[in-house]
Amino acid sequence: MGALKPVPETREDGFFATRIDALINWGRKNSLWPMPLGLSCCGIELMAMLGPKFDLARFGAEAARFSPRQCDLLVVAGTLTWKMAAAARLVYDQMPEPKWVIAMGVCSSTGGMYDSYAVVQGVDSILPVDVYVPGCPPRPDAVIDAILKLQTKIERERPLARILAGPGVSDERGTGARTYQPNDAVRKSVYDLHPHDPRARKG
Amino acid sequence: MPGTITSERVDGALAGIEHRWLVHRDGLPALELDLAGLAHALRALKERAGFESATFVTAVDRLPRVPRFELVHQLFSLAHNERVRLHTRLADGENAPSCTQLWPGAAYMERECYDMFGIRFEGHVGLKRLLMPEEFEHHPLRKDFPHQGIEPDRLYREWDKKRRAEWHPEAAR
Ligand code: SF4
Repeated sequence: MGALKPVPETREDGFFATRIDALINWGRKNSLWPMPLGLSCCGIELMAMLGPKFDLARFGAEAARFSPRQCDLLVVAGTLTWKMAAAARLVYDQMPEPKWVIAMGVCSSTGGMYDSYAVVQGVDSILPVDVYVPGCPPRPDAVIDAILKLQTKIERERPLARILAGPGVSDERGTGARTYQPNDAVRKSVYDLHPHDPRARKG
Repeated sequence: MPGTITSERVDGALAGIEHRWLVHRDGLPALELDLAGLAHALRALKERAGFESATFVTAVDRLPRVPRFELVHQLFSLAHNERVRLHTRLADGENAPSCTQLWPGAAYMERECYDMFGIRFEGHVGLKRLLMPEEFEHHPLRKDFPHQGIEPDRLYREWDKKRRAEWHPEAAR
């Protein structure tokens, strides 16, 4: 049962006491519903992961839905272009809280080999990301590992405090008043050179 | 490629239009034409030399050279199983003749060419960008365009600002 630790003295036939945070987290982490945002080649690997061979159902996350309103795990699988960025952000906004994001593959983590005007250099410039998965494409095992890591991350959350504090606070990184501020990793002009650019090298 | 059957048919069709044969490493018969004669040459090649399909229309930016662009048409004749390639020098700001009247399928290729190089095609109905968003300001395949782009996130940020102002007017600063 993982983090759902019963208080030993209260354990009887069919009953035990535990923390409500642990109970909520236990439910959330074992029934992640992924929203597959398959943008290019990584999307194919994502399908393999959902299929019978790697069988994501073992971890409770096989119920992929194609409506963001039914999902709580956004898997950005592939190369996100700036033209697609608005659509990806809309998908994220439409997912109800609580929600998590996995950046699958180097493309969605950092832009990958596409150091280009058309590609978002890491989806974390437009969305908050929980787990990054390296690889081009990552093997399905790596993404399953990411889901397990995300589960341990969910275990550490304090959902009750957020629920009791009301909607203004529980909506910390969603679309509410406290909007997530994207990082400033995006270059604003051509003169702001990329760290890998030889012209930026000193000496 | 002078001396072959293709070159005779092409030379015959292009009688009266100035053209030079080029020798290219890939061995494809290639011609160089002046911009003024291009429209006539394309029509003549289709109607008199039997090139009934345009495989591609594209351009090359050879920046330090003047004029900087080279427009490339590659034509294919199904009847003769032959290809020919046309090269035309073009300066920035000069308009090229559209060949969509002859080969409607060239419309997308001309749109892509306009999108990537900023070459306008006269006589093309609906010359819009093909790949980049319509509000995009630059022509990315030009050699003086940095490959990392100039403010690549501009359109997204504009959209994001509008969205925040619409959905959460109290949070927009
Ligand atoms: S990381 Fe590799 S496999 Fe995944 S979308 Fe990018 S290029 Fe394709």
